[in-house]
Amino acid sequence: MATTKAAIQLSSDLLSDSLSVSTDTKCMKAGTTADGLDQMRMGYNEIPTGTSFDLLDATTAAVDKANKVYICNNSTDETYYVIITIDAKPIGRLYGGDWMFIPWNCDDATHDLEVQAYTGTNDIMWMCFHEGETLGTSAD
Amino acid sequence: MATTAAITITSDIIPNFGSYTKEMTLTEAGTLTDLKETTGYSRKKLASTTKVDLFTMANTFVDTAATTTGAKVFIKNLGYNNEIDKSVGVKVLINSVEIGVLYGGDWLMMPVVASDGEDIEVKPGTDDAVVLEWALFYQ
Repeated sequence: MATTKAAIQLSSDLLSDSLSVSTDTKCMKAGTTADGLDQMRMGYNEIPTGTSFDLLDATTAAVDKANKVYICNNSTDETYYVIITIDAKPIGRLYGGDWMFIPWNCDDATHDLEVQAYTGTNDIMWMCFHEGETLGTSAD
Repeated sequence: MATTAAITITSDIIPNFGSYTKEMTLTEAGTLTDLKETTGYSRKKLASTTKVDLFTMANTFVDTAATTTGAKVFIKNLGYNNEIDKSVGVKVLINSVEIGVLYGGDWLMMPVVASDGEDIEVKPGTDDAVVLEWALFYQ
């Protein structure tokens, strides 16, 4: 069984006492307790301004799966950002240096994960851990 | 005053992938100024498949142009009574648009649009008790 783990260390001194949370999770296939996600895609893209791009295309095969997505804005300028959109809903802004890690089970095939860059061309690194992808038959 | 979040991903799906680590400091939008406000660390028990607001934006972001902030949310599914069931989960939604399912032990960290109506919602997959912990950091 393939094993993928994601751990986070969250620390904050905003409160009168320090907050420190440390946890990890093993990424399993949907609805299973013993079978880990066994496929992954990753990439690094330069995202120009002016257009919303599909970073990850929701497909029928991915619907209701336990996919996990990591996205990092590797831009070094903190004023650069991308707006993350799922199914036409803006989720939030990922500024230069920020990362996010979410489950992405594609409620339906319209749940593409899109990015649109602002301020300048943003450098985006991403990984998607998933299951059940079947390559399309070559047409030529 | 700073809030930091470091992620480490390890996987053997691709040989020699090994481990990846990235740390970020949570800052106000487009600046290097630290975020200064938080809900604190919260805990909620759910025992119904009814969709509920985990965080209602209008209760905090009243009359503010919060759509341009650098807000981030952390949510974790703790299971119940120290039992983590990887086979069932809790849907996380933003204003009724599904993000994904947090199965037992899973967590997420993501930016959010902190404006009226863009509530963070959760919907357990079963009536069994489940506990979520979460924190929202905002400006």
